[in-house]
Amino acid sequence: METSFSTHTTGANVGGVSMKNIFFNLGYFIKEAMKIIKFNLLSNIFSLLGTGLILFLLGMVLVGGSISNQLVENLKEEAEVSAYFDENMDNQECLKLVETVKDMDGVRDALLIDETDAYNKMEKVLGEEAKVLALFDENPFEAYIEIRIHLDTMDSVLEKVENLEGVNYVRDNRAVLERMQAITEGLKFLGYLVIVAVGITTLVIISHMIRQGIYNNKDQINTLRLLGAPNSFIGFPYVIIGLLLTMGGGILAIALIVLLINQGYGQVTASLSFIPLPPSEELISEMVTLLLGVSILLGILGSLFGLSSIKKNR
Amino acid sequence: MIEAKGVTLKYHDGTLALKNIDLQVKPGELVFITGPSGSGKTSLLKLFMGMEYPTSGSLNVMGQPIIPSKIGKIRKIRRKIGPVFQEFKLIAGRTAMENVIMSMRFLGISSRQRKENARNALIRVGLEHKILSLVENLSWGEAQRVAIARAVARKPSLILADEPTGNLDHDNALHILELLTSFQDNNTAVIITTHATHLIENQKNATFIHVSEGNIVKEDHLHK
Repeated sequence: METSFSTHTTGANVGGVSMKNIFFNLGYFIKEAMKIIKFNLLSNIFSLLGTGLILFLLGMVLVGGSISNQLVENLKEEAEVSAYFDENMDNQECLKLVETVKDMDGVRDALLIDETDAYNKMEKVLGEEAKVLALFDENPFEAYIEIRIHLDTMDSVLEKVENLEGVNYVRDNRAVLERMQAITEGLKFLGYLVIVAVGITTLVIISHMIRQGIYNNKDQINTLRLLGAPNSFIGFPYVIIGLLLTMGGGILAIALIVLLINQGYGQVTASLSFIPLPPSEELISEMVTLLLGVSILLGILGSLFGLSSIKKNR
Repeated sequence: MIEAKGVTLKYHDGTLALKNIDLQVKPGELVFITGPSGSGKTSLLKLFMGMEYPTSGSLNVMGQPIIPSKIGKIRKIRRKIGPVFQEFKLIAGRTAMENVIMSMRFLGISSRQRKENARNALIRVGLEHKILSLVENLSWGEAQRVAIARAVARKPSLILADEPTGNLDHDNALHILELLTSFQDNNTAVIITTHATHLIENQKNATFIHVSEGNIVKEDHLHK
């Protein structure tokens, strides 16, 4: 019987494996990856769960960071100065003063709050405790100009307003805002620490699983090496394994985060409605992109780290 | 094809496996390396494969020096070699077909062509009825033939067979030798190590190298 064999051709090489080799063998690489995973199924399942929980922790920190950023941005817009003026000024003079303030650089808006409005505002702030205001025979609140400003320009606006004729006293809420900002910076730092911890832990887990897979398949790897297989061909299934484990963990983390956001938003809006939250769809979309991206990156890095043990042999 | 000059091989444990070996193998040549167990036959094949490096002397296989710094290029040379290992080194849990295809996966051959080559190779070695059998379910002789099919399916320039007749009865051993030598042609050299000299005494058009205690003691070229 006549038999025929074709001689091989080689295409362009990328890191020892041609694009042709990758394309022609994609099914093989995926099958090999699944075989290696199945060989140590329980360990791999626990790795996936562990990675998922770690990424969920990362997700929670990122959600917290996103919400606190939103809070600070909103609070920045709440930066305001209250300018108390001479009570002998008539209405015309007051309105002129308001216009002068409005024209200043850094001022977003200026509003004249008369005594009645000031009383009503305080009633709203006190809520159920507002009945204490009934103890006063007269309205204790003065009229003032409420000036909405950009937080960054607070110093210059304060100076200008203080120097205006007719202005007796100026009060700002800078201390509160600066405290909020400090808390946010603290949370950001904590977030960075968590990211580093998540990265290291995931890399360790994945590289350990890869090395275990390599050890379990050392005979096959040795045979492939003797047949002339490049390291990248031998290692490709393990890169797929790393990706599958971390992406599986990432998907688990995303599912938990989405559940947390949906549940959490409901509870926060019901009981703490004054806390400004970013739109949940936007937050979810941001988390999905971030967590998937991080899991893919960690999967590839973890696999390459684990594969570094192959390269030492012939 | 292969050129060795003053090659010595000393293993890490101090064993001196080969001493001052000089030999040449031309393209398309059929070579039998004979000698008792422990004489250095397998060590020679390990050197040709780049599994070991000469302790001294120089060795070139297909123009490539076999030295540690060239491991990447040595791996490329291996793709042109069809090895038949003494212990077969078939991949467990895979069929005969999958094992043969494995040797061609990184040669840039399409899936269709790999399957065709593998099928033809398995038919040529007489295993058309065992193509889809798991290798662990094959007999010793059948596993041997899968190993041969794996070696030849990619049309190598050099076939290296280490004791391919070991553990086989006389008739099967002869059959295996005939099979291996049938792959020799102008483009493919075949080197076979064996301690069963009685099986090759009727071989024609071959080079016979007798190794003893790490030395080449005799070299005959029979070309009729």
